[in-house]
Amino acid sequence: MSSSILLRSAFKSAASKNALRSALQVRHATSSTAQYVPGGPIYKGTVNDPTTFPPSSKVHGSYHWAFERLLSASLIPLTGAAFVTSGTAYPILDGILGVSLVMHSHIGFDSMIVDYLHARKFPILGPIATWTLRTATVATLVGIYEFNTNDIGLTELITKVWTA
Amino acid sequence: MQSIIAKSLARQGVRPAARSFTTSAARWQAVPTEKPVLNKEFKIYRWNPDEPAKKPTLQSYTIDLNQTGPMILDALIKIKNEIDPTLTFRRSCREGICGSCAMNIDGQNTLACLCRIDRNPGKDSKVYPLPHMYIVKDLVPDLTLFYKQYKSIKPYLQNDNPPEQGEYLQSQDDRKKLDGLYECILCACCSTSCPSYWWNQDEYLGPATLMQAYRWIADSRDSYGEQRREQLQNEMSMYRCHTIFNCSRTCPKGLNPAAAIAKIKLELAAE
Amino acid sequence: MMSARAVGLGPALRKAAFSQNIVRNQVALRTILAKRTIQTQSVSPAAGEEILNSQRLKRPSSPHFTIYQPQITWIGSIVNRVTGGALSALLYGFSIAYLIAPGTFDSTHVVEFVAGLPDYVKYSGKTILALPFAFHSWNGLRHLSWDMGKFLSLKGAYGSAYAVMGATVVTTAALVMM
Repeated sequence: MSSSILLRSAFKSAASKNALRSALQVRHATSSTAQYVPGGPIYKGTVNDPTTFPPSSKVHGSYHWAFERLLSASLIPLTGAAFVTSGTAYPILDGILGVSLVMHSHIGFDSMIVDYLHARKFPILGPIATWTLRTATVATLVGIYEFNTNDIGLTELITKVWTA
Repeated sequence: MQSIIAKSLARQGVRPAARSFTTSAARWQAVPTEKPVLNKEFKIYRWNPDEPAKKPTLQSYTIDLNQTGPMILDALIKIKNEIDPTLTFRRSCREGICGSCAMNIDGQNTLACLCRIDRNPGKDSKVYPLPHMYIVKDLVPDLTLFYKQYKSIKPYLQNDNPPEQGEYLQSQDDRKKLDGLYECILCACCSTSCPSYWWNQDEYLGPATLMQAYRWIADSRDSYGEQRREQLQNEMSMYRCHTIFNCSRTCPKGLNPAAAIAKIKLELAAE
Repeated sequence: MMSARAVGLGPALRKAAFSQNIVRNQVALRTILAKRTIQTQSVSPAAGEEILNSQRLKRPSSPHFTIYQPQITWIGSIVNRVTGGALSALLYGFSIAYLIAPGTFDSTHVVEFVAGLPDYVKYSGKTILALPFAFHSWNGLRHLSWDMGKFLSLKGAYGSAYAVMGATVVTTAALVMM
């Protein structure tokens, strides 16, 4: 104990100098160069602040999830039907298959973009990918509609190519 | 002692043989059963924050397994004690309850204290820190974000209507729902084994935190289940889980975060 | 106090403090001077954060998929994604191609082109198409059963993985023979 008292009194002047320095550093800290980058080593808030949640939206949450599952599940009977019959007999099959397969693909591609190229991490590449996908999906929908109406249709094509 | 023996022997008149008899007996007792040397190479991830420009490297250490305890943590402690005191890692309980020594051993996340050393001397053991984490030093990852995420799900009982007297009561069936959830020691093995957490850990909560979220959603004494579920209704917080099962595969406590997350998804879809 | 004790300077300092002939005691003097250089400096939380952040920026990210043990769990998952992506890319590619050039990519031309290919190309092409289709379909069923709360144990995940692989081989063979 005695030694610490001795030390404290001996370096009182040094301590006040330090206080001045730390006050200056605080001002420096407000103009900090360390910026938050998503996924980077700098975090929002202090270590004691919890992370925050994005705004709640069932459309992006459970509705999206449930829709995706229902869509995938409905592909099972559709695929089965495509095996036993063909679009020539039931043009409606080609129509439904065309739309649901493309939606299933779109959700899958979109999921990849969210996982690997999210706009918060890739502010240029991310939106480019998203809009490229949207354009491609619309083009695919139109193309497959054209093929189903003007040509032999999807299931018939697969059957013919497979046995060619 | 020796003099007493010598004296008694002298009385019997066998003095010259006394010394040789005692020393040979001592030598016979001192012979230990020598274990053969079983050298094994450990390759350990090293990065020193005092030399930040130097790239992380794998440093090789060879130790005799017959002079080491059975677990990877024993080997690490031996290396630190006897070969390289600068080797840095976290450890505390050495019995799998604190979660400090979580690391990637031979490609799998586990606790070093629960992981047996593969005694095949021909194969080296590779020890890395938990995957895709910022490294403080050597095998020590920065778990700040992991803890901040855990805090975000409010891991404590929330109920506005406490019982008038006594404590919250719970049926045995309701209590059973918490088994396999409450045992989590937050070692972060599962979260850092999850590819989705690797790519999106700033927004995706990861298996450990999500399983704890479910632990409080499933608790019959908690009345904030709706708010807890509502928070997860977005693209990133939970729905980045693609049921990969790396989390359940790697959990050193044998828990099943993948199933807990699947149950949250079902509950949200049923709302 | 604690720090002085930790470095083992306590007795020396205490001796120095009460010593009359401190100037002559070279050892004690040296320890005090040495102590002067190890002074601590109190820093405000914001300044501390600044120091921490400057260290954080230098930290490397530990290796991940390159060092992680290949396991059926995540390898199966990425294969599911790749096979689905490949089949979807084919669907998108053909549909967009037909939209742009319906004369070149109409059914008669496509079927004619395929019919003109040698047999080994036909069969390998069928395998290349049937394998991802079979795997993605069966693994999709596996995912759907997980989402309904079935096979959610580690044992269930592994058992269903082997079942999917077996079914994929059989289905692929059947489709190629068709």
